[in-house]
Amino acid sequence: MNETVAGRVLRRSWVREKLLLGLSPGEYARRLATPFNVVAGLILLVGLPAIVYRFAFGLGAATNLSQTNPWGLWIGVDVLSGVALAAGGYTLASAVYLFGLKQYYPVLRAAVLTGFLGYFFVVVGLLVDLGQPWRIPYPVIYAYGVTSVMFLVAWHVFLYLSVQFLEFCPAILEWLGWKTVRQWATRLTIGATVFGVILSTLHQSALGALFLLAPTKLHPLWYSPFIPIYFFVSSVIAGLAMVIVESALSHRIFTEQIEPGRHADLDRITLGLGKAASVVLFTYFFLKLIGVADGGHWGLLRTPLGHWFLVELGVFVLLPCFLFAHGVRERRVTLVRATAALTVIGIVLNRVNVSLIAFNWNVPDRYVPGFMEVAITITIVTLGLLTFRWIVNRMPVLREHAEYRGAH
Amino acid sequence: MSHHDIFSMYSTKGLEYLIAVVFLLVFIPFWRFVNGAGAAEPAVAWEAPRWVGQLADWFRVPAHVYFHPGHAWATVGDGDLVTVGMDDFARKLVGPVSSIALREVGARVAQGEKAWTLVSDGKSVDMLSPVDGTVVAVNEEVARSPERLGGDPYGEGWLMRVRAPRLAPNMKQLLSGALARRFIEDACDRLQALTTPDLGRVYQDGGLPVDGMARALRPGDWDRMVRAFFLT
Amino acid sequence: MKLSRRAFLTSAGVAGAAATGLVSLPRAARARPVADGMLAMLVDTTRCVGCRACEAACSEANRLPSPAKLGEESVFETTRTTDARSYTVVNRRRQPSNGRAATFAKTQCMHCVDPACVSACLVNALDKLPEGPVVYRADRCIGCRYCMVACPFEIPKFEYDRPLPLIRKCTFCTHRLREGKLPACAEVCPSGALQFGKRRELLEVAKTRIYQNPNRYVHHVYGEHEVGGTSWLYLTDVPFEQLGFRMDLGTTAYPELTWTFLSAVPFVLTLWPPFLMGLYAFTRSRERAAGEPEQETRHE
Repeated sequence: MNETVAGRVLRRSWVREKLLLGLSPGEYARRLATPFNVVAGLILLVGLPAIVYRFAFGLGAATNLSQTNPWGLWIGVDVLSGVALAAGGYTLASAVYLFGLKQYYPVLRAAVLTGFLGYFFVVVGLLVDLGQPWRIPYPVIYAYGVTSVMFLVAWHVFLYLSVQFLEFCPAILEWLGWKTVRQWATRLTIGATVFGVILSTLHQSALGALFLLAPTKLHPLWYSPFIPIYFFVSSVIAGLAMVIVESALSHRIFTEQIEPGRHADLDRITLGLGKAASVVLFTYFFLKLIGVADGGHWGLLRTPLGHWFLVELGVFVLLPCFLFAHGVRERRVTLVRATAALTVIGIVLNRVNVSLIAFNWNVPDRYVPGFMEVAITITIVTLGLLTFRWIVNRMPVLREHAEYRGAH
Repeated sequence: MSHHDIFSMYSTKGLEYLIAVVFLLVFIPFWRFVNGAGAAEPAVAWEAPRWVGQLADWFRVPAHVYFHPGHAWATVGDGDLVTVGMDDFARKLVGPVSSIALREVGARVAQGEKAWTLVSDGKSVDMLSPVDGTVVAVNEEVARSPERLGGDPYGEGWLMRVRAPRLAPNMKQLLSGALARRFIEDACDRLQALTTPDLGRVYQDGGLPVDGMARALRPGDWDRMVRAFFLT
Repeated sequence: MKLSRRAFLTSAGVAGAAATGLVSLPRAARARPVADGMLAMLVDTTRCVGCRACEAACSEANRLPSPAKLGEESVFETTRTTDARSYTVVNRRRQPSNGRAATFAKTQCMHCVDPACVSACLVNALDKLPEGPVVYRADRCIGCRYCMVACPFEIPKFEYDRPLPLIRKCTFCTHRLREGKLPACAEVCPSGALQFGKRRELLEVAKTRIYQNPNRYVHHVYGEHEVGGTSWLYLTDVPFEQLGFRMDLGTTAYPELTWTFLSAVPFVLTLWPPFLMGLYAFTRSRERAAGEPEQETRHE
C-alpha cells in the first residue's frame, strides 16, 4: 500500500514509518542537523572513546578513585542523583492513580518515561563503575548478601525497572499497534503503580541507608540515623521538580506534539506540582533540623563544612520552598519553573555532598573527579536525553495516539 | 557516636520535640500561604434547557475550510500558502470588534500559539494560529476597519496569509467537513449550557442575538468565556 | 539504644516497602556472633622490633611480591598502608617518651567479630567464618567497593590497575590454618610480638600482662570492644592514638547500624499495600460519590 506525502508516492515501510518518522532516509538525515545534535555529537565523540578507554585500561587509569576514596563521581552523580531525579515516575503515578488527581495525567507518561530511562541509565552508570560489570546480575541470580542494604538496592532497581517498563508498555504497544497486548498491559497499571511506589520508597531510602555504615567517614552534620528518611523525602522533591523541568522543556521542544489548548493545561499542572514541592520542602527542612538537634553537633555549624551545610539547607531547601510558594500564589509559572531547576541542582548537590564532599571530610587524601569521569558522566546524561527524545518523537508520550483517544 | 548523659538526653529530646511542635504550628499558616488568595477558575454552570431550533444552523461551516479547535480556520492555496482567519462562530461570539492586532509580515507563527489579538469593549482576547509558518501577507483593510470582518469571515474577512512548510503534520490537527460541523455543534452545546433561565430577553424569538453572544450571556465577564472557547 | 528504637518506629512508619520475601530480613532477632571461641591474634607492640619478617612471610605465603625495601631503615620514614599487593605493613612511630627509641605497629585486617564489610557485601564475597577469619571469595565479587566504604579501618584494597579487579586483604592464612599451621606472620615473628590463639584466652593473656606490668602498658586492649570487638588485639605502651589507631570508632558493631533500617523493610512491605490500596479505594469512592464518570480512568 502506498501513501502520498507531499505529492510523492512512497512505498509503505515499517522502518520508515516507525523509526524514521515517516521520512525518507535522506530527509531524516537532513533533519538531524540541529545545533543540539551537533553538541550532543561532540559530547559523544569525546565520551564514547572515554568509556572504551575505561574498559580497556581499568578504573585506575580512567578515574581518580583511590583506596581511601572508592566511590567517586559516577556513584555520586550517575547513581545517587540519577535515582533521585528519576523519582518523578512513582510520584506522579501515585498522584494520578492513588490520589486520583487526574488533572496530572498529561505529564504522567513523560514522568514514567523519565523514571524508566533514569533508572536505566543509572544501571549504565553502574556498569561503567563496577569492577566486574558483567557480574551485575549476581545479587539477583547467584549470591545473596541479605544483610546488605546494597543487596536491597540491587533487587529493587531490578524489580523497579521491570515495573516501570510495564507502566510504560501501553505507550510502546500503542506505537506498535498491538491492541490486545496493550489491553492486558493496561489492566496491570494499578498493581504496577502500587508495587512501584512500594519499591521506590524503599530503595530511595536504602540508598541513604548505605551511608549508615560509615559513621566515622561521613561528616556528623550529614550523618544521621535518619538518612534513609532524608533520601526518601528528598526523592519526592526531586521527582516533582524534575517533572516540572522536564515538562517545560518538552512542551517547548516537542511543541508540535502538544494538542492545541494543552499548553494552558501545563501551566495549571506546573503550579500544582510547585505547590506540592513547596510543602514537601518545608517538611524536609524541619526534618533536617530535627536531625541536627538529634546529633547535637550545633557547634559544627560554625566550621567551613558547617557553613556549607547551611548553604545546602538555606539556598537549596528553604529558598526554593518559599519561591515555589510565592510563585504558586501569584500564578507565576516561569518562577516556579526556575525554582524547580534550582531544586534539581539542590538535590544533586545533596547527593554529591553525602557521597563526595562530606564523605571522608577529615582525611587528607580528598577526591576530585578526573576529566574522563566528568566526560563519561556527561555522556551518559546525553545518551539519556537522546533516548528520551527518540522515544517521545515516535511513541505517544506527550500526545494521545489517534486510535486510542480517550482510552485512558 | 556520642553518649548522652541523662540530662543532655532530655535536653536533646526536648529540643527535637520543640522543633516538631514549632513545625506543626508553623505548618498551618504556611499551608494557607501556599494556597494563597488564588481562586480556582469559576466553574461554569452545566444546566440548561435546550433551545428551540438548532443553534448550529446559525453558523457557516464551508467545505474545504480547515478548523482549529481554537476557532481559527485555514484554507490551502498554492503549494504551502495558507490563508487563515477566525470562524463564523468566533465572530458572532465576540461581536463587534474595535481593533485587531495582527502579526507583521515576516513574523513566525506556530500552531497552537497566539496569532492575533482582538480588542473589544476594552478587553482583549487572543486567538491561536491554526498552522506553523511565516506570515507573508496581512489583510490591511480588515486591520484598519474591523467591522469588515462581519460579513464574510471566510472570504473577505481573511486575516493573514502564511507560508506553512509543515502543512501535512499541521493538517492532522485541523478539522474539516463533517468533523468541523460536529465541532461547531459541540461549541454550540457548550454555549447553550452556559445560559441560565432568567435570561429572559433571549427567549423571545427562540434564539440568541447572534452578534455578540458572549456579551449577552456574561456582560462583565465575557472575555473569560470567550477565552475558554478560543483556548487562550 | 534510644536512637535505634525511635528510628525504628519512624522508619516503620515512613519508609517504603521492599520487593519480595527474597529481600526480607535475615532473621527475626539479630544473631550476634559468639566471639569467645574465635581464632585471634594478640599483637604486643612493646615486643615488636620492626624486623618486618612478618611482611616477608605474609607475601610468601600469599604469593605476593616481596615487600619493598626489605632490611632498609628508610622504609619507615613514611607511614605506609596496606595495599593490593601487601596485606600487612609495619609502621614505626617515633616515641621518645617511654625511654625506647621507637615503637612499631603492624597493620592488617582486624578480622572483626561482627564485620562491617561482611554485612555490606551484597553478594557475600566477604564472609565471616565461624572460626574467626574474614575471608574473601573472588568468584562472586562484582567490584562495587562498598566494603571499602564500610570498613572503619580502611582495610579492603581494590586492584584499580587490573582488568579483572579483586579486593585484597589479609586472609588470616586460612589455607595454612586448615593444615594445622600458624599464620605465616605469627610463625616467623622472632620477638614473640604476635601470639596466636583463641580470642578469649588471648584476652586473658593480654589483661594479665597489663595487670602484671601496670606501668608498662596502656590499660586498654585495642580490639576488645572496638566496633563490637575484633579478632586482632593490640597492646601498647604508648597511647594508641600515637600509633595511628582510631579511638573514635565506638563499641557498636557496624551491622547494628543498618539493622534498624533492614528490620523496617518487611514491616513496610506488609503495611504499604493495604495502605496504598485503601487510599486508592477511598479516592475512587470519592470520585463516584461526586458523580464524575468522565474522569474515571477506563481500564479496558
